[in-house]
Amino acid sequence: MQVLNNLAREGVLSRYAIGGAMGATFYVEPVLTFDLDIFVILPKTVSGLLTLEPLYEALRNRGYTEEGECVNIEGVPVQFLPAHNDLLVEALAEAREVFYEQTPTRVLRAEHLVAIALQTGRDKDRERVRLLREEAMLDKDYLAAVLARHGLEARWNQWTP
Amino acid sequence: MEPMDTLRPEIARLIAAKEQRRRKLAALSFAEKVRVVVQMQEMAAPVLRARGRAVRVWAIANSKPIDQK
Repeated sequence: MQVLNNLAREGVLSRYAIGGAMGATFYVEPVLTFDLDIFVILPKTVSGLLTLEPLYEALRNRGYTEEGECVNIEGVPVQFLPAHNDLLVEALAEAREVFYEQTPTRVLRAEHLVAIALQTGRDKDRERVRLLREEAMLDKDYLAAVLARHGLEARWNQWTP
Repeated sequence: MEPMDTLRPEIARLIAAKEQRRRKLAALSFAEKVRVVVQMQEMAAPVLRARGRAVRVWAIANSKPIDQK
């Protein structure tokens, strides 16, 4: 988390938040995962292209190596996922400020984790929605607004009969 | 499978205890949950590796590092 905070401070990334299984784990019982999904908003490049390369280069300069889709940061395989649509941009903007031990960090709101899972639509996302519905304290009005804004109501109704 | 309301009391008690444990786990701090995740990784990794999946157990503080890919 300290590495990510330093990268944000230096402008290598504009904003980041924990999502995926570890994001869900913040709200529910621990879920087995081997990757740490970090959603990021990247600074605008001259060409306007959305690329992780400057972030990877900054990490390489710090001695962190790429392993497939992840970068091994202090023993944790971290997968960076750029905010490539309106839902992810909103989720990052409204992520919760939390602490991991003494280090400040950010976690996506539970309602946004539900919406992202609905949008992604895999079997494991369906299971994540079920878990978050059962165990997280979802703000129903907030969730309804997110789902309406991003056209996810039909899938919500399909997945939560 | 029997419906919940006709389960034998000891089975109902077991299910209730399981539910209580899940709620207790959900209430842990984030740092404690991360430690639980690492413990689960340590348990699952040998099984997944035996199936041919390359996994790495997180080598974070307060957990036993198992660094294999």
